[in-house]
Parts: sequence; structure tokens; C-alpha cells
Amino acid sequence: MRLGPRTARSRRAWLSILLSLLLVIALGADPAAAQKPIRIGEINSYSGLATVFTFPYKEGIEMALKEINDSGGVLGRPLEFVFRDDKLRPDEAVKAARELVIQEKVDFLAGCITSAVGLAISAFAKENKVLYFATHCQTSRLTWDDGHKYVAHTTNNVTQYVRVMARRAAQLPYKKWAHISPDYEYGHNMWEEFSTYLKQVKPDVLYVQQNWPKLGETDHSSYITALLQSGADAFFSALWGAQEINFVKQARPFGLFDKLHFFAPAVGNPDELDPLGKEAPIGAITSGFAWYDEGLHKLHPKLPEWSKRYTEFSKGKEPKLGASWGYASAYIIAEAIKRAKSTDTDKVIAVLSEGFEMEFPWGKVIMRGCDQQAIPPQWVGTVKVNAQGRPIMTDVLEVHGKDVVKSCDEVMKLRAAATEKQKK
Amino acid sequence: MEFLAGLFPWITNGPLILVQVMSGLSVGMFLFLVSVGMSLIFGVTRIVNLAHGSFYMVGAYLMVTLIEGLPEHPLRFWGALLLAPLGVAVLGGLIEVALLRRIYGRDPLMQLIVTFGLILIIGTLVLIVWGPDNKSVPRPEALAGSVRILGQPFPSYYLLVLGLAPLVAVCLWLIFYRTRWGMLIRAATVDREMLGALGVDVSRLYTEVFMFASWLAGLGGALAAPTVAVALGMDGDVLITAFVVVVIGGLGSFAGSFISALLVGELQSFGILIIPAISIVLLFALMAVVLVVRPWGLLGRPEE
Repeated sequence: MRLGPRTARSRRAWLSILLSLLLVIALGADPAAAQKPIRIGEINSYSGLATVFTFPYKEGIEMALKEINDSGGVLGRPLEFVFRDDKLRPDEAVKAARELVIQEKVDFLAGCITSAVGLAISAFAKENKVLYFATHCQTSRLTWDDGHKYVAHTTNNVTQYVRVMARRAAQLPYKKWAHISPDYEYGHNMWEEFSTYLKQVKPDVLYVQQNWPKLGETDHSSYITALLQSGADAFFSALWGAQEINFVKQARPFGLFDKLHFFAPAVGNPDELDPLGKEAPIGAITSGFAWYDEGLHKLHPKLPEWSKRYTEFSKGKEPKLGASWGYASAYIIAEAIKRAKSTDTDKVIAVLSEGFEMEFPWGKVIMRGCDQQAIPPQWVGTVKVNAQGRPIMTDVLEVHGKDVVKSCDEVMKLRAAATEKQKK
Repeated sequence: MEFLAGLFPWITNGPLILVQVMSGLSVGMFLFLVSVGMSLIFGVTRIVNLAHGSFYMVGAYLMVTLIEGLPEHPLRFWGALLLAPLGVAVLGGLIEVALLRRIYGRDPLMQLIVTFGLILIIGTLVLIVWGPDNKSVPRPEALAGSVRILGQPFPSYYLLVLGLAPLVAVCLWLIFYRTRWGMLIRAATVDREMLGALGVDVSRLYTEVFMFASWLAGLGGALAAPTVAVALGMDGDVLITAFVVVVIGGLGSFAGSFISALLVGELQSFGILIIPAISIVLLFALMAVVLVVRPWGLLGRPEE
């Protein structure tokens, strides 16, 4: 017998048959996996400075996925997320979106941490008729001014987030206000929403001084001097993350927080309070996810148990706001598909445009139909040091987004105005 | 004067101006430590080391680890301040021997790509080693508060920076102009081939210079750590400003870096008080003006 190419080829053929058989057996062992998974293409910043938010967020998603798939998946199919890194760049995000839709054949898109990325994926989704669930970014333009049926937003937006703070500000006796906000879209949105809403609730407030450091500025001494000279009673900060830590560390020795009351929605998150430690701005009014707060446990008895499960799942980490957002986003996407009884884009959009409500361990999240915007509960509190010497958010007050969010009529007016502007 | 006072109400407030000047100086000092190393590397090896900001970042992160790891002691902060820059110097030495040594004299574009690649590699390694969370270094007890200068509070930690950086500058001057090693470095910036021909071990000198420059960047990072958040991304922030400082001062000029760092520090400090809206642009406007008038920088030498 002649050993030639034919024999080699037939041996290879045998081998591939054997391998496919093995693969079928391996897959067949898990009944849920025998079904084709429902795939979500998730685009977010998984390298660089955003990882402080996106890593806990991703863990929240993975925890929800495990729970969902352990209890039979969605429509009997496992739910799967395919993660891509956008490197904080809208063009990278759109490239990833295209790759996910064309090559990975995902059913839906999800993700975003910066508004620019969110808006870019949203535009892609509209153009290509793919349904996109914006998750971690917060610009209100996503579902309001620039909203369309191919985008849904699974977490709160800037308007809800800031109005809760403005409401709290209105309850305190301060008249003269200043602010410090990073000089880019998010910072301008935040100050615009805060100042407008506060004026609406409390018409006698005065805005005496403004500070616009660039995003990522590390030296704030001149802004601190300007704030000290402003004569304001209180000031608002739309800074966040490392930049706000820089600012607080630099401002404290100047006695800024003794002179002006500090209103900073982001400072109460553990990613800022923990590194600040003893240098935390005690007494600052802030917002955040106080999963450890006893008052909150009374309102939401399931919260301690969820926090414990998260810690077990993430091998010892404490929950963060981002983790709750990832967790909720995965469940909201799963719920929309379940209700549609299909992964057909139009059917899922039909469900979203009707709207639905879901109970989470931290309260009710409303997915509103008219704008496909999530309306979750939110919390404001005061920064204090606990018995262990760790700065935390205390005196937590819950305000549900539904009490501050813009109405469907207002949203439709915003959309009409945006369309009008585009025509010009 | 009255017109000015109407525009800028702070202009008659002497103590405030003094505090502002001093803040600007301390910012300039951090910039000096980073940019002088960058300038030194360029002067000797002709490589624009884009990874210099990464060395600054590693210095700050090492500071975090050392403060957490060393036993509680009044001298802990100072021990960490001593050790962290040394760690960065070792890292710099390894990188020079393993990588940069192979690209001296090559196409400048290729050198840029290599040092840019280093930014990405070091950034990812920092993420793997220290994780994504923001970190912070508390100020040493003695310097945690503020002192009053003409009635205005001023952070006492900045006084340390204001004292230490000029000390470093004086030591650098002594090293460059009063030691044999400094003489070799100056010789290398003028004519490297001749230096080699005269029997000096140039490749060893390069490694030493690179380690020394890394040490300076590490010191900058370690000193800055208590005043900022130690976080991913701090490499890029400092790199851009330090690069501007080096260009304004003149690539390869030590005194140029010093003057230009102070200039940039003050510009940032006062720019915001004068014209807040364009304070970001001022820095680059200054660079543009310098480049038009003296393309080789304030104290640099024109290329022959």
C-alpha cells in the first residue's frame, strides 16, 4: 500500500470527525448549552483610568449572568456577553460595534462609560437598526434630545442624578453658590441641570462664581483660591474620580471645606472616599450607593444578603455603584427579551416602548416606555467617619427618580427641539 | 490701577498674590523634577523618552505600596520617599539595558514608537500589579495641615516641595559642573563619538544617565503622591506638561528646564485668575511663541 497524500487526507478527515463528535458530546453534557446562546455585545473601557468603574461593573454583569443562566437562562437559552474595550474612544467603540454585529453576530449591543462613546454607539445603532442598551454613561441626551427607538438606557441619567442633589441643596439655608466642574460636556450638563433646577425650586439663590478646570487637571490651587474669594456659602462640584481626589486633597489644607459647604455627588463613592481616608471632606453632601447603611437595610431588607452574595462572587470585594448598575443592566436586558418571548429586535423594542418595572435588592427600577429610560431610586447623604475610622456616607435619604425626572411631554419637546435644530 | 482692580479684585490683595505665587512655584518644582530628567536623557542619548511620565507614575505607586508595607513609624514617610525613587531607577536601568540600548542612533520615529509602546506596557503592568482602584498617600503628620502666610492659609506640605526641589537643583548643578561624571555627561551631549574614542565606556554612561533621570522622575512622582490621587492616567497628564516644559526650556538644557518649569507653574497659577476661559491655551501659546522666536528653546543650543 502506498502511503500518499490521500491517506494523510483521510486521516485528517477522521480526526476532524472524531473532534466534532467529542465537541458534540462535551456540549451535550450541559443541556442549557445545547441551545444557541443569546449574545450581547458589550463595549466599555476595560483598560486605563476608567477601570476603577468598569471592573466592578463587569463583575455585576457576570454575577447576574451566572444567576440567570443557573436558573435556566432566557427563553431556555443561555445569556452571553461578549466584551470589547473602547479605550475611551468613540471611533474605537463604533469599530467594535461593527465587528460585534457583523462577525460575532450578537443579538444586541450594550455598554458605554463616557457620554461620547454612548452617543456614538447610539448613532451606529440607529443607522444599522440594531438595538443598543446604554448602561454606564449618563448623558440625558441619549434617550431625550437624541433619543430614538433603537436605544434604551438602563441606568439613571444626569438630570435625575443632579436634581436629587439640587433638591437637597434647596432644603439648606444657602443663598450664594459657586461651582467647580470639569470643562467638557458632562461637566457643563451637570452644572446647567443643577443650577437651573435649584433656581426653579428656590428662586432666591444667586450664582456668584464659576470654575471650569479642564478634564484631568491635576493642580487646582488657583481654583481653590478663587473659591475662597468668591464669597459663596456653598459650592457644587461635578468633578469625579481621581480629579476630585486631587481637588479635595489640595483644598483641605486651605480650609476650603470649613468656609464653604461642599456639594459633590461623586465624592461619596468608595472609589473616592477610601483613598481619601482621613483627608475625606467631612460634612460634604453627596450621593452614592450606601449598601452598608442600616437605614437603607430597613427600606430594602434584601440588600444585605445581595451585598454578601456579591462579595462572595467577587472573592472578597465590596459592592460599588457600578456593580449594581452592571447587575441591573444585565437583568433589564434579560427581562426585555423574556417579555418579548423572542430576540427579534422589533419585538424587544415593542416591549421596551410599553415599559415595565423590576424589583431589585435596592428598590424599584422603572423602565419608562416613552423614552426607554430607566428611572431608579437614588440616595443622598453626608460624609462622616464611622467607628472604624473609615469615611462613609451617612444620614442616607432615598429619593426615587420618578419624583424628579422630566415628564414624557417634556422629553418629546426636547426631541422636537433637537430635530428642529438639526434641520437648520 | 483702579481699572485693573475692577477687572481683577485680587490684584490689591498682596497676601493672596503671594500664596498664589508660592503655589505656582511648587507646581513648577514637580514639573522640574520630571522634565529635567527627560531633558537629560535627550541631551545624552538623543532619545525623546515618552515613557518618562510612566516613571513618574510608578514612583507614586511605589510610594503607596511602601507606605502601606512599612511599619508605622514617624520616619515611615521619609523612608518611603527615599526608597520609591530608587525602585524607579532600577526599573529605568532594566529598560535601558534590555530595550533602549538597541535603538540609539536609529530613526527618531522608531525611537518614538518604542518609548510610546513603553507607556502602554507600563500602564498595563501598573493596572495588573496595583489594580484599577484609585490610591492615595496621606501627608506625613507634621506636614498635614497648613501654615498662615500673611494671614492666608498655605499647605505646609508645599513648603517641603518648595525647599526640596531647589536643593535637588543645586545638587544637580554641583554634579554636572563639579564632578568628573558630570563632565562626562556634558561631554556626551556635545560629542558622543569623540568621548568614546577617548576611552570612556559610553554605553555604561548611558545606562547611568538613564537610571539617574528615572530616579528624578520617580522622586517627582513620590513627592507629588500626597498631593494628588495616585491613579491610572497620571502618566499622560504629567507627560504633556513636562514635554512642553522641556521644549520651552530647550531640549537638553538643564537650566532651561528649571526656568521654564517655574514659568509654566506660574502661568498655570495665574492664568486662571486672569483669563479663566483660556488658561488651558496659555501654556501652548507660550510654547508656540518660544518656538517662533527661539526654535531651540530658551536656553537650548541651535542644531548645527
